Amino acid sequence: MRGFWPLYRRELFAFFVTPLAWVLIVVVQGMHFFLLVDHFSRSADAGMGDETPLSAFFGNTVLLYLVLFLLVPPMTMRLFAEERRSGTIETLMTAPVSSPAVVLAKYAAALTTYVAMWAPTVLYLVILGRTGALDWRAASSAYLGVLLVGAAYLSLGLCASALTRSQFLAMVCTALVLLVLFILGVGEFVTREGTTMHTVCSHVSVWAAMNDFASGVIDSRRLVFYGTLTVLPLYVATRAVEAWRWG
Amino acid sequence: MSHLTRRYGAHVAVDDVSFEVGKGEVVGFLGPNGAGKSTTLRVLAGFLGPTSGTVKVAGHDVVDDSFEARRAVGYMPESVPLYPEMRVVEYLRFRAELKRAPRGKRAAWVDDAMAKAHVLDVAHKRIAHLSRGYRQRVGIADAIVARPPVVVLDEPTAGLDPNQIRETRALIRELGREHTVVVSTHILSEVEACATRVLLVHKGKLLAQGSIEEVRAMRGATGIEVVVHGDAATAERALRATEGVRDTARAGADAGELVRLRARFAEKLGAPERAAAVERCVAALVAAGVGVREVRPAGGSLEDAFAALTHAESETGGEP
Repeated sequence: MRGFWPLYRRELFAFFVTPLAWVLIVVVQGMHFFLLVDHFSRSADAGMGDETPLSAFFGNTVLLYLVLFLLVPPMTMRLFAEERRSGTIETLMTAPVSSPAVVLAKYAAALTTYVAMWAPTVLYLVILGRTGALDWRAASSAYLGVLLVGAAYLSLGLCASALTRSQFLAMVCTALVLLVLFILGVGEFVTREGTTMHTVCSHVSVWAAMNDFASGVIDSRRLVFYGTLTVLPLYVATRAVEAWRWG
Repeated sequence: MSHLTRRYGAHVAVDDVSFEVGKGEVVGFLGPNGAGKSTTLRVLAGFLGPTSGTVKVAGHDVVDDSFEARRAVGYMPESVPLYPEMRVVEYLRFRAELKRAPRGKRAAWVDDAMAKAHVLDVAHKRIAHLSRGYRQRVGIADAIVARPPVVVLDEPTAGLDPNQIRETRALIRELGREHTVVVSTHILSEVEACATRVLLVHKGKLLAQGSIEEVRAMRGATGIEVVVHGDAATAERALRATEGVRDTARAGADAGELVRLRARFAEKLGAPERAAAVERCVAALVAAGVGVREVRPAGGSLEDAFAALTHAESETGGEP
């Protein structure tokens, strides 16, 4: 892991010194605020039903995916593509650094930024906790879900960025992969129960996964799925970085 | 570096190049664009792997011991890529840490590198706001910041104005006192200005190497070119009669009564004998009653040596 820390700090710096991270944070916060207000205004005149603030916030909403869909591609597109386009990859790779360190430092910086984007939402929970009973364990599992899904998506985005020289192409590829994953998840609702397709779709579904996590269910199959979706692209990216020397 | 070959697919960019650079040398890596200079330097810096052959830097193989080899080299790529959003001092601190400069000395080394590369006055400016000349110097500061034994600069004067070129050459000579320096360029006078040794490459092959004098002597100052005022035939006869002159030729008529003549010396003459032959030629011309307006050695510059060598190569070479 030679060179991890200086690279990690530089990547974080690159996220926050440009307006990108701040714009994304504002967008995410705005969406969350809308969700929250929407939930409470509806529940005021219709009653809560079986929907809790937590499950509304993290579960039964398309907005979470919309956020991820808008967030991840622009966050990850520049990670490698920009360095290759501008040539800084040459100064980077001729420094005594190892390829896994380069990949992981970039990934860790993206993940840290992602976490920073979600961090302010904890405040809502603190406020909710003051006004009523809040199941902190369910909340934690919901955040675990957010983290896992984000980790996997960022990893896919990083891999796309490592495989192309163009940021735009990296962004489009990432968005496409995320879209396909999402559509597969929607497939859970349109295929007949009992068919193979239905089983596959329900395993892949982000929607179902987040519903599980938001209601406090931590399913090991989901852990394995998102773990794999995180580790595999990172591995591919590392191999790609090493391959540049011989390509 | 021995028998280095590097291919891009079917294209052979560097073909069986072997050379050694001693400690403290400033080596000019010379060749036309597309000769394989950058590729060779990239392999040296550890950015590209060799297709075959072995490359060692300060005793470390660039493949088997890549990490140590990369630590021993400070490399500045041709386009001088930098992170535009960083300030100069931030960038150099980051690079120093990345290249494992010892923690306690890092700040001092960064200051030192900035002083040597003359970028102290822009230390707190963003790289995006720097001029081309300053960027180049930041690139050089980056190459030397971790005090590597070997400094590799790819076309360090490309895109600079004449003043900056002079400054950069002076800087390279300075670097030569503490580092082994490898500089690539396609400008011959650059090598003459700052290198102690020359490697001539063309179409991926090493054509010649040696000190500047040696490479020059390979083709050598083969004669003189004179501009005379008077009768051309008399002048030619006088030159031909001079000891050491092999033949003469008209090098095109000049305006009015001025004639440009070229005299080639016999091939066996050494450098001091050639100098004497030049004196005899001028004396003979004056004795023949011809006015001498201009005298200069012909074929003596590296330009001529280079043109002759690369030309000979493309005539005889079976290289596609």
